[in-house]
Amino acid sequence: MTPASGDAATLLSAPLPHGWIGTTSQWIEGFGIGLVVLNVALLLFVWFRMQRNESLSRMWGWMLVAVGLVPIMVGFMTFAHGLESSATVSACGSCHVMTPFVRDLQDVKSETLAATHFKNRFILTNQCYSCHSDYGLGGTITAKLAGLGHVWRYTTGRYTVPIKIASPYPNTRCLGCHGESQRFLNSPSKKEILPDLMAGKVSCIDCHGPVHPEQKKEARL
Amino acid sequence: MTEPTRRRQILRLAIVLVLVFNLLALVVLIRATPIAFTIFMFLAQPLMVVALILLVVAVMAELRTRQLL
Repeated sequence: MTPASGDAATLLSAPLPHGWIGTTSQWIEGFGIGLVVLNVALLLFVWFRMQRNESLSRMWGWMLVAVGLVPIMVGFMTFAHGLESSATVSACGSCHVMTPFVRDLQDVKSETLAATHFKNRFILTNQCYSCHSDYGLGGTITAKLAGLGHVWRYTTGRYTVPIKIASPYPNTRCLGCHGESQRFLNSPSKKEILPDLMAGKVSCIDCHGPVHPEQKKEARL
Repeated sequence: MTEPTRRRQILRLAIVLVLVFNLLALVVLIRATPIAFTIFMFLAQPLMVVALILLVVAVMAELRTRQLL
């Protein structure tokens, strides 16, 4: 999804480091596609040899490579790429119900909390996922399971608009980044409520909203 | 149906399953949407596992024929 407004920021991109050879994800994607092509070629090779009624005893090696070894490598590459890609903003935006949120996120004129974090790169990548998953392995697993539920509800149409967050937004997600920041800890406005913020008795977004724009009914498919 | 013919059919089925697996993997590699990734996880990977099981079954049958097992 492209940024909503064509400002200078979208026209000028930061220069890449000298000797840039792409990201790990791009390399995994490339290797994965290469392996798929190799695997299909091997499978066709074995298939046509079988069609010619060649003896099976001369094909076991090829069979083990084509049906056993290379597919496992393809599976590993695809899993790694899919897992990485499923956390990106474009993955979240691929469901139409998310369009208003992603459009606002990428709108440099928007003053919502999400857009402020995005346009100033307070979070470098995977902005949706970073704020909507808890830290650590448990957070990742919970987020992936929740994502599975989202895919199910989206494809079966079992959701209502405007969509709402499943549970109250926990302060721990904000504090994961801000919690040890000196600017945050020494902020005069935070001094008094700091223990309550840390304990989750006062919500960060009560004062720092709106986080996202209001969703209209027509956002539904 | 003779034993070698049956074995060939099992292997052909395994090849078809791996081809479908590759097709679904390619979709994820080119455009990794959450739906495509979910289909890969819950359909493509089980298909590959079934293909592997079929391959093992065919190998075991071959070894038994050669009286190596």
